Amino acid sequence: MSAVPFRRPLLWLLLIACCVPLFQVQSQAQADDRDSGEAIVGTLGTMGSDTMAGLMLRWGEALARRHPGIRLQLQASGSASAPPALVAGTTRLGPMSRPMSEVERRAFVARHGYPPRELTVARDALVVVVHRHNPLAGLGRRELDAVFSDTQRCGAPAAIRDWQALGLDWPEGRIRLHGRNAASGTQALFRRVALCGGLFRPAINEHPGSAAVVAAVAEDPRAIGYAGLNHLTPGVKALAHRDDDGTLRAPDPEAVRRGEYALSRELYLYLNLPPGEALPPPERAFLDLVLSPAGQAIVEELGFVALPEAQRRRQRRALSLADGG
Amino acid sequence: MLDSPPPTAVRRRLRQGRDRLATALITAGGIGVIAALLAIGLFLAVEVVPLFWPSGEASAISPEALWSGGEAAEDASRHRWAPTATLAPDETPRISLAPLAWGTLEAAAWALVIAVPLALGAAAHSSLFMSRRLRSRLKPTLELMEALPGVVVGFVAGLVLAPWVERHLAEVAAALLLLVPGPLLAGGLWSRLPAPWREALPLGWAGLWLVPWLALVLAASVWLAPWLEAVAFDGDLRRFLELRLGLDIAVRNALIVGAAMGFAVMPSVYALAEDALSGVPSSLAEGAQALGATRWQTFWKVVLPAASPGIFSAVMIGAGRAVGETMIVLMASGNAALMTLNPLDGLRSLAATIAIELPEAGPGGVHYQLLLLAALALFVFTFLVNTLAELVRTRLRRRYRRLGGGA
Repeated sequence: MSAVPFRRPLLWLLLIACCVPLFQVQSQAQADDRDSGEAIVGTLGTMGSDTMAGLMLRWGEALARRHPGIRLQLQASGSASAPPALVAGTTRLGPMSRPMSEVERRAFVARHGYPPRELTVARDALVVVVHRHNPLAGLGRRELDAVFSDTQRCGAPAAIRDWQALGLDWPEGRIRLHGRNAASGTQALFRRVALCGGLFRPAINEHPGSAAVVAAVAEDPRAIGYAGLNHLTPGVKALAHRDDDGTLRAPDPEAVRRGEYALSRELYLYLNLPPGEALPPPERAFLDLVLSPAGQAIVEELGFVALPEAQRRRQRRALSLADGG
Repeated sequence: MLDSPPPTAVRRRLRQGRDRLATALITAGGIGVIAALLAIGLFLAVEVVPLFWPSGEASAISPEALWSGGEAAEDASRHRWAPTATLAPDETPRISLAPLAWGTLEAAAWALVIAVPLALGAAAHSSLFMSRRLRSRLKPTLELMEALPGVVVGFVAGLVLAPWVERHLAEVAAALLLLVPGPLLAGGLWSRLPAPWREALPLGWAGLWLVPWLALVLAASVWLAPWLEAVAFDGDLRRFLELRLGLDIAVRNALIVGAAMGFAVMPSVYALAEDALSGVPSSLAEGAQALGATRWQTFWKVVLPAASPGIFSAVMIGAGRAVGETMIVLMASGNAALMTLNPLDGLRSLAATIAIELPEAGPGGVHYQLLLLAALALFVFTFLVNTLAELVRTRLRRRYRRLGGGA
């Protein structure tokens, strides 16, 4: 036997050096935990929206720093996957980027006997984007409908297919449309708000993610598309929305928070909680984080819009979480 | 140290046992594959049944709606795929699978239009005319091309090639115009060259010395493009197509998909066709040439018919792959559910639709069942193509067996 374990002292030194910060983090986390009383141990399973995947992940990380005993298991395969998982009881937390439909809610009630608890955890907005050199400033709802649909349910007199019909000299030629795929919450919201529930023109390019929409628009001066607010890049310009009275509303966080920007939406967390029962400790710790200023700071960091202060406090009280936390 | 060899009777029995075990394993494997195939088909069929014969209060979907989007649908919204649209009570659902099936076939057709002539031409040249040394280098290279994942091909086509082509439309059009006559011109010039020149540029190495020629042709097309645009297309090809011909031009269009998928399909078509052509016994070709046939006559009249079963199945396998290919179409096509003949328009295939929408369709819902119906259609289609290919292949093979052809 010639294998001596300490044959390469330098390598071992490196390894140990790498481990030291780990130990430090560990002990710090334990210190935090000691502050908040007894340790909470458990696994939180969540299933739902892929728009909110990054958000859930960051909240999970922050939660693991606060309570090292809690693990968050994340499955993000679309908002539509949350209700079946909640009904079947495989998860107690379902993030969704749209409100539950009546059918989904009924299925939940039929199985559990009480409605799911709905929490608003963040705000988001859709932005209509064009190429960064496009001179267009903003579009109203009728124009959006005329550009994106061929049903014109919002009352536009005719479809708009050329940039010239929008009063521009450049870019010239046909407008090329980009958007999200059917079945995404983003597409459903845009169709409901901007198209008055009509049909998209079949020539629209459907992309499997908002980032792909933005990338496609950034490379083509004749393109227009819609995407989630948090996917904006310097390659594209976000158009303002013209209200019916003619004022332009840029999609800035303040306008979204106040609900002045028409294409905004709320992001939800659905909870399987029997009425009158207290939250189990892991869920309680998670929601405490999500509805805390630190949790809302994560929301802002990821490009979404934090909840208005009053709404945040109201929801904390409804869950009987300690105020201010 | 070695064991003494066992008596022959024991050895024979051992070998028989091994053979029987191998036979049983292989049979079980075969039955397993067939059972799995049937189970997939059955699963899809069972999941789709509630669409047509619903159990609850939901209304059944008419096959008419699946085909044309409902008889009442006016012209603008016929053939629509909008399965998640919220409908007014009197509206027919927009769930026509026709644009998706059209997109699938259109993409496959363009891929084959691009891949089959190139692959078969390359196979014919490399099996009959190419020098052996060059061929031994070429084949592994083409096989490497096949190993390229579809995602990578789709990514390059959709995010690099498509925007580039859109910016250089005139150059690409000129190159397409010149690429067919270019090599033909090279062939004509070659046959008129003086003999010593022809020795210096042997036919077997045409694959190498044509490369600079092709580069020259491409350079000429770039140089000619502005002139072509000015003379034939009023100075701007894109505007000419949009305004004069009324064609829509999508950045990610059917031609880009065809080129990318053709690139992906080409190596396997080439490899199978090359094997089929090389498998024709050399005695046949030698006999024909001994009787005075030229090389071309030998190829056209003797080798090609003898290898036709193998070539046919090569093309069919290419078609099967092109129909089922998902990632390339998804990334390079823009997924616009259109039904047009315009090759510069976008398209959307069944496979890409399933890939994009299934994760977000709630299991058990109508949308989910429609997607499974699309999957069933795809399954049946590839099944039919493969069965047809096998039938035609065996028939052709029987007919040409007298020639002694292989494959």
